[in-house]
Amino acid sequence: MESYGTAHGLPKITKTLIKLTRRRNFPALPSEHPLDPSSNLDTLMARYQAGDFAAATALIERLGPQLHRFFLAQFSSRADADDLLQETWLRIHRVRHTYRPGEPVLPWFYAIARRVRIDHYRRASRTTARERTLEEMSEVAATFAREDGQAADDLETLLTPLSESQREVIRMMKVAGMSLEEVARATSCSVGAVKQKVHRAYERLREKKMSAMGPKKGPRGGQP
Amino acid sequence: MKDEEIDEALRKGSRVPHEVSPALLKRIADSIHPSLRPVRPLPPNWVLTGGLVLICAAVALAGATRTGFYGIEKLGLWERVLIFSTLSILAWMAGKELVAELIPGSRHRFSPHAFLTFASVALLGVFALLFRDYHSDHFISAGIACLLSGLLVAIPAAFLSWLLLRRGFAVNPASAGLVGGALAGVSGVTMLELHCANFQVLHVLVWHTAVVPVSAAAGALAGWALMRYGRRPIDGAGF
Repeated sequence: MESYGTAHGLPKITKTLIKLTRRRNFPALPSEHPLDPSSNLDTLMARYQAGDFAAATALIERLGPQLHRFFLAQFSSRADADDLLQETWLRIHRVRHTYRPGEPVLPWFYAIARRVRIDHYRRASRTTARERTLEEMSEVAATFAREDGQAADDLETLLTPLSESQREVIRMMKVAGMSLEEVARATSCSVGAVKQKVHRAYERLREKKMSAMGPKKGPRGGQP
Repeated sequence: MKDEEIDEALRKGSRVPHEVSPALLKRIADSIHPSLRPVRPLPPNWVLTGGLVLICAAVALAGATRTGFYGIEKLGLWERVLIFSTLSILAWMAGKELVAELIPGSRHRFSPHAFLTFASVALLGVFALLFRDYHSDHFISAGIACLLSGLLVAIPAAFLSWLLLRRGFAVNPASAGLVGGALAGVSGVTMLELHCANFQVLHVLVWHTAVVPVSAAAGALAGWALMRYGRRPIDGAGF
């Protein structure tokens, strides 16, 4: 008859359960599974949670530039964007247990990055005692050239007529390649709200483009 | 101008490569290396939501045990079913939304304000449908006593909910506080329905229902204060 008694103080069945739980929580051990450079983000994130430094580095290299661009588009200073990127990764590192394998990775990263951006704005406005809204600040940032002399890139120039929330949605979709559902998750909105923002952004871009092309000519070629 | 043309223009603009200093990326990697160790992901949503609903029910029961089950004894079967099933649904919805607030990148089916409005309207509707006593004796004094009792029960419910979700990370602490407060408020209303035998329509509509928005407002205020005056967000998680 199989024994269910205790060995080293714990029943066998309890020990088996503990082992199974550990196996499920920490599936990948870095030393056993070398990192494939083409691994997808989900796999890298799961390995990062399992304590794999190579996976953490790969995530930083893959998503760092994307997040840096996200910050640079909002704030005029490259130094600010560098600081925010570091702060974001530190926060990601502290709360990495809140990511659950199987869930989309990008919305999780962008939700934290948005939080860092808002906190930064609050701190900045507190220290400088300026009461400008985030939207106003971003409009200024998007309109003027960068502090380090680098001109605003093509996308930012195109997005200038849009409101900050519309720009944010377009950036996530076009730069990060996120779907509507993922953008909704990252911005804590419903999919319907994101669709509406995209629709309004396109309307606005269309209007701007039409007005830039000049008034429509009449049936006689615009002559009075 | 067609959508495809705008799409193409945006696509071209987004193709501009963006360089980040490799030294910066290396510095970030090096900064997290010393504290890199395996972490246990949070349990599934349904486990956390179930836990929150259980906390809500247990705190309400404990409160009613202390003060007496006079209300539920006086209620008819149909009234019991309708009131407590509404409260259970609201507790489940609030729990689900609170879990979503504390896990970055979660799906949100409705906004916290929409939930608060829905919960208040649902309670008002159920109470207006069931109670028919239009007297209003001791409206203020009896009402304030009920509101305070409900809020007193909401405090331990909010605290225990925070304990359960302390490993979460609130992307928006004020919203998380609002939903957490609303959930705790539902617990307070549940206790009042178990305990309070005053079935005057105005009393129930105003003072019992008020526990949810007042508790939600207190939660939102606490979240906002934490965001505004609390320790720097980088120092820790939680709401």
